[in-house]
Amino acid sequence: MTRSSDPARPRRSTFAFPVRRENAALSRRSLLHSAVGALGLLALPFGVQAAEPAPLSPTALAFEGDALLIAGETFTRSGDGGAIQTSDPASNGGGVLALATHPDRPGRVVVGLATGGLAISQDGGRSWERPGGGLPDAPVAAVAVAAAEPDTLYASVQGDGLWQSEDAGQSWTFVMDRPWLAEAERDSLTLASVDLATGMGGIWIYAGTESGLTRVPDCFCRWQDVQPGDAMDALVSGDALPPEAPLPAGEPIRALASAPAAPETLYAALPSGIWASRDAGVVWSRAAEGDAAAVAVHPVDPNHVVAALDGDLRQSRDGGATWTAYAAE
Amino acid sequence: MRGVAIGLAGAGALAVVAWMATAQQPDGAVEGLTFAGEPVTAAEVALGQEIYAQSCASCHGADLEGQPDWRRRLEDGRMPAPPHDETGHTWHHADGQLFTITKQGVGAVVPGYESDMPAFGDSLTDAEIRATLAYIKSTWPERERAFQAEVTAKAEAGR
Repeated sequence: MTRSSDPARPRRSTFAFPVRRENAALSRRSLLHSAVGALGLLALPFGVQAAEPAPLSPTALAFEGDALLIAGETFTRSGDGGAIQTSDPASNGGGVLALATHPDRPGRVVVGLATGGLAISQDGGRSWERPGGGLPDAPVAAVAVAAAEPDTLYASVQGDGLWQSEDAGQSWTFVMDRPWLAEAERDSLTLASVDLATGMGGIWIYAGTESGLTRVPDCFCRWQDVQPGDAMDALVSGDALPPEAPLPAGEPIRALASAPAAPETLYAALPSGIWASRDAGVVWSRAAEGDAAAVAVHPVDPNHVVAALDGDLRQSRDGGATWTAYAAE
Repeated sequence: MRGVAIGLAGAGALAVVAWMATAQQPDGAVEGLTFAGEPVTAAEVALGQEIYAQSCASCHGADLEGQPDWRRRLEDGRMPAPPHDETGHTWHHADGQLFTITKQGVGAVVPGYESDMPAFGDSLTDAEIRATLAYIKSTWPERERAFQAEVTAKAEAGR
């Protein structure tokens, strides 16, 4: 455990992410500013001011119960009655690229590390272990927990492909090469297990890449575009396909979240804002404008969304129609 | 070593055929094996095995083992031919989907998908495609066959 702050003690906010060391692997993330300061204020005793607004570079957000988890140079947990805790899953300050939790495994947090491999906590992010037998020693840019199998994990290994663990992260198997989009293999920047039937006895894994959205059935037969309904049925029957409104082309998809309580509800974080879909990714609309770095949806309330947007942590209680500053609960 | 493996596989195939012969129903149907909800005969499975050897084995492997390292993409961006045995994902697809992929190509199921596998609609009859797929299904262990039967039943119910 590398807990670096004690919420009961500080009189000056030391709650800050170090400035991210930009490199090729991480340059897709924008530096955000001031949100940590805002979050720190919320957690401090009334009237206590944070020193300087500290730079924030969240790479991922996730809910663990009602607590909000924030990944960046360190790991931050916020929301347990206002308490904030930080820790360093990599044990070397290398930073966290990805986060995943599952409502049926309270306390378990899986993170992908910029320095390679992953770390898993069983106590909500207070302490970490580094399993990962078989996983290549390369940055893990995206992680997900299978919605219907909470001990099945997925990890996207940079420059390599998709790996699966069926024993909660202890051992790993290569299951699928990287998606092929716009005439090249693309790393997955984010993964989401979407609990909707593929028609092949399983559910979907969605991936956001630098070149758009794709998905693969969890039997790993092939990466494919998001299609309305059952595309084959429509082709065979000759029915007209429903209208589509895809995510804007040419933008990286930095984060994807499928609401556990309503898996057809998806949120995506792009440089143009937060986008929402109510039909599993066929029709998208912009829920918030701004440079979005990360997004998370509450495990019970599909309309409760938190996003890292233009340097602030913002939240919506109505599915993205209106937004306010994030307030820890 | 590989020769031994193939020999064993051959013996296994013989055993399967022998099992099917004894498991035939009075009307020639193989017990526990259907395609698109209809019974399959041992003669169809034998025909399918021949067609598989002629038209499929060069890519998917004589023992249905697929191409080496089949989960890794080829240089041209396409995927190698996957196995059709229980180590692959063929048994996740419903009968109708397997038939469509074989007859019309993968693009018929996943629009725009580029694959090295041709559509066999011009070179095989519907009956030959059905027989080939029935042969592949006959090689699956019970667990995979039961899983695929359920996927097929759900797909049929959804039509």
